[in-house]
Amino acid sequence: MKMSKKEKLLYPFYVISHPFDGFYEMRHREKGSVPVALLLIFLFGLSFSLNRRYASFVVNLTNPRSVNTETELIGVFVAVLLFATANWSITCLMEGEGRFKDILTVIGYSMLPMVLTYIPVTIISWLVAADEEGIYFLLINISMIFFVILLLIGIMIIHNFSFGKTIVTLVLTLVALLLIIFVVLLVISLINQVWQFLNSAYTELILRT
Amino acid sequence: MKLKKIWLIPMIIILVSVNCMNVSANSNVPYQTYNYDFWNDIYYTPAAYIPNGNISGVELGTTNFVTPQDMFVAEDGRVYIADTGNNRIVVLTSDMKLEKVIDSFPYQDGTSTFNVPSGICVTNNNDIYIADTDNLRVVALHEDGSLLKIIEKPTSEVLGSDFVFSPLKVTVDYAGRVYVIAKNMFRGIMAFDADTNFTGFSGTINVTITAYDKLWRKLSTKAQRQRQIQFIPTEFTGVDMAPDGFVYATNIDSQAQQSIRRLNPKGQDVIKKKDTLSGDLYNTLSGEYAGPSRIVDIVYRGNGIYSVVDYTRGRIFTYDDEGNLLYIFGGKGSQEGTFKNPVAIEVKDDQILVLDATRGEIMSFVATQYGNLINQAVSLRYDGDEASAVKLWKQVLTLDSNFEFAYVGIGKSYLAAGENKKAMEYLKLGMNREYYSIAFKRYRDDFLKGNLAYIFTGGLIIVIALFVRSRVKKRRLKGVDEDE
Repeated sequence: MKMSKKEKLLYPFYVISHPFDGFYEMRHREKGSVPVALLLIFLFGLSFSLNRRYASFVVNLTNPRSVNTETELIGVFVAVLLFATANWSITCLMEGEGRFKDILTVIGYSMLPMVLTYIPVTIISWLVAADEEGIYFLLINISMIFFVILLLIGIMIIHNFSFGKTIVTLVLTLVALLLIIFVVLLVISLINQVWQFLNSAYTELILRT
Repeated sequence: MKLKKIWLIPMIIILVSVNCMNVSANSNVPYQTYNYDFWNDIYYTPAAYIPNGNISGVELGTTNFVTPQDMFVAEDGRVYIADTGNNRIVVLTSDMKLEKVIDSFPYQDGTSTFNVPSGICVTNNNDIYIADTDNLRVVALHEDGSLLKIIEKPTSEVLGSDFVFSPLKVTVDYAGRVYVIAKNMFRGIMAFDADTNFTGFSGTINVTITAYDKLWRKLSTKAQRQRQIQFIPTEFTGVDMAPDGFVYATNIDSQAQQSIRRLNPKGQDVIKKKDTLSGDLYNTLSGEYAGPSRIVDIVYRGNGIYSVVDYTRGRIFTYDDEGNLLYIFGGKGSQEGTFKNPVAIEVKDDQILVLDATRGEIMSFVATQYGNLINQAVSLRYDGDEASAVKLWKQVLTLDSNFEFAYVGIGKSYLAAGENKKAMEYLKLGMNREYYSIAFKRYRDDFLKGNLAYIFTGGLIIVIALFVRSRVKKRRLKGVDEDE
């Protein structure tokens, strides 16, 4: 059964209102879409950045000169990819049923509540005074908790794990995340040293004549 | 036709020269002038004060000063210099000419001299108090040079028997109470009453030991503990007396948190501060001018304004009564207007005088238009006249549009006048959340009050429209049913 474009785009809304069914059908009936997930991640990065830049100074102490949408977008994508890779490597070993693209889709679709709140709360922040900022932070926190709950349910469903096992895999995912970062840094420094060696060897040869 | 052209020439000359003058007044200073914005980023400002010449001992008609340590400008404008290395006090008239040199005073049927006098203070009736450091006493003289009194090592059980009383700086309040900073006295400023009796310590700085330090000390052995640095409070470096009897004092703070204190007559610190009160916010760890600012002297300038001088980078920081940093100027070097070893700061009329111990000179600075405007506006605000301060703040903003404090000043006065929209605009530029919120709430209330009728009407129309729509839909469905 092929989904129409409209259905594909509206499916995240079904997922956040029916997370258990939604994620199950995503895994087993091919209802998820990686491009839509990537779009949602992109929109999250964008709205996050817009919030940092445009939220009223009553609630927002970020120096606008320090906001760079490009780096923030790249940062969000790198974080998502790292998390997905780490989770995939762990769940592979722990008999998880989810594929890499499922994990990516779960993360993307779970971000929908944040995508939906960040820009409205930015507008709300223009309408609040210093002692009414509670509503702004309440909304932001609700959307973040919603994201975490959706992510938990999503990981649990696509891998067909119990709740306890999900928590264990998530902890292991964090460990794997640190390992990946460590290895990447190691490789970078190794490449750097090799490059420096080649560079100095080249200089030596050039000056030897 | 020709006449017109002739008129043009002087006009052009005046215009060009006026422009040049402005430029030279603001940019040809041998130091950087900057301030910190809301995010603690550095931004460069016009110079608030510019150099106005140096005076050395030879220029005054006497021998050169040798490591002078303190200077005092009396109420009548006379300048007193503690010429420490020459063991004398040099007195200048109010127009900076040599008046007299005091190097001895009649004492017990003979005369007595000074030995390393390093602190001086003069009361309103021209009694001279001298911290005679190596003679271990504070000497008070009448205006004519005769002895008034001598404060020597106090006998008190709170002071150990091995305590050596070597006073470094001295100040006197309106009631004749004497406050003395003594060498190696970490318990505060020593206070004496008018009859030279020791009354206690003022402004004791408490040491705070962090949990980490405690743990580290617990873990180390006794021998190690003895070799570790001791947790002793910092020393005071300079004092000044405000007319209301509050003592302004500076101390060294290696954490760069608070180097300035305002002590009430009970000896408690009552200064208002924003975040930190210790000169520069940033410093390098190594290099020529490394380390936190080392505030060595303070001068209270009236209307809540005080200036301090920093030894590390030779800068002069000026704050207002709320702890706002108003302007920064000065630097180290050997050009005119820079210091090698600034030790004392004083104010004489509209000039700031700084005594340099190594160069043995008094450096003078005068306010530019920018500095003057800030001084006046802050003074007006201190007196509660925020409305007249607005005009000055606006002029400040034409010279330095980054000066957040000016925006807040203007915003507050608009707020008081009920112009909430304008107040919001300025308070936002001044990054003042608290007052912005007040203005915003008032503006929002006014908006809702003024437009309540429209809001209700609009709501009513929407409700009616929805109602009608649902009725029409029902009717249509019914119609369809009837048709079938």
